[in-house]
Amino acid sequence: MTRGDRLLIAALACLALVAWPLASAVAGGRAGQVVMSTAEGETVVPLSVDATYEVQGTAGIVTVEVHDGTVRVVRSDCPDHTCVRTGAVSTAGSVIACVPNGVVLRVGGEGGDGLDARIR
Amino acid sequence: MGSTLASARRGVSVGMSRELTVTAGLLAVACVLGLLEAALPGIPFAPWLRLGFANIAVVVALAVSGGRMALAVSLGRVVIVGVAAGTLGSPVFVIGGAGALASLAVMWALSRVGDAFSPVGWSAAGAAAHMLAQFLAASAVLGSWGILTLAPVSMLLALPLGALTGALARTIVSRLRIC
Repeated sequence: MTRGDRLLIAALACLALVAWPLASAVAGGRAGQVVMSTAEGETVVPLSVDATYEVQGTAGIVTVEVHDGTVRVVRSDCPDHTCVRTGAVSTAGSVIACVPNGVVLRVGGEGGDGLDARIR
Repeated sequence: MGSTLASARRGVSVGMSRELTVTAGLLAVACVLGLLEAALPGIPFAPWLRLGFANIAVVVALAVSGGRMALAVSLGRVVIVGVAAGTLGSPVFVIGGAGALASLAVMWALSRVGDAFSPVGWSAAGAAAHMLAQFLAASAVLGSWGILTLAPVSMLLALPLGALTGALARTIVSRLRIC
């Protein structure tokens, strides 16, 4: 490992650390809703209501479960099941993606209650 | 005169067949490492994160020969694993291909700037580029920018994994006389 390697790795790590909150802020929004985007468009559902949704993906059906303020993919017609293994997410900005199905689930979302920001 | 030409030709063809053999061997290693890794269970909460051991073969190709051999190993692997996994032409294939190409471009550029960077640095930066390109490609394919929120944390995790695979590749290059 050369000096150049160490500097390069440190610089890239700093870049990623700076980009982290920025990326979350851009896509963030408020928690409390789940934006389900598919090839056809976006559907927004509340995170506070326990329910199961059958989302039509490009490779089959993705079964999404909202339970206790968390969202997860229970079942999916895709080969690798990365979406299922991601498990349950609940914080704003969290993402579950099923790439073969073209389905992205995101906690948060724009609009919402009409406030620009909320300080707790 | 004639015999000189013949031996010169033979010299060229021996060099080319050796390069072809090494490329084929590294390509086979890359495919096996990639398929083995795909069979491992992912990490909970980050199942999209891979160790990237197939990149060892690409880094070795870059170190012993150069960009051309590394490109053959990298693209060859993406296509062969795509055929084997049945994902050829699917979104997964496009995203993986974008990552592989971006990673190779960065590693090749770093390998060209002299002795400032070793395979450890090439591989770490290549892994970060792989992640960034994958998430950009995934955003384009899925038509949703939300997935980019995962990019910074993935890049951060990719750096030590890339450095590890780079160190393994460097060890292989220094222990084996491949070319």
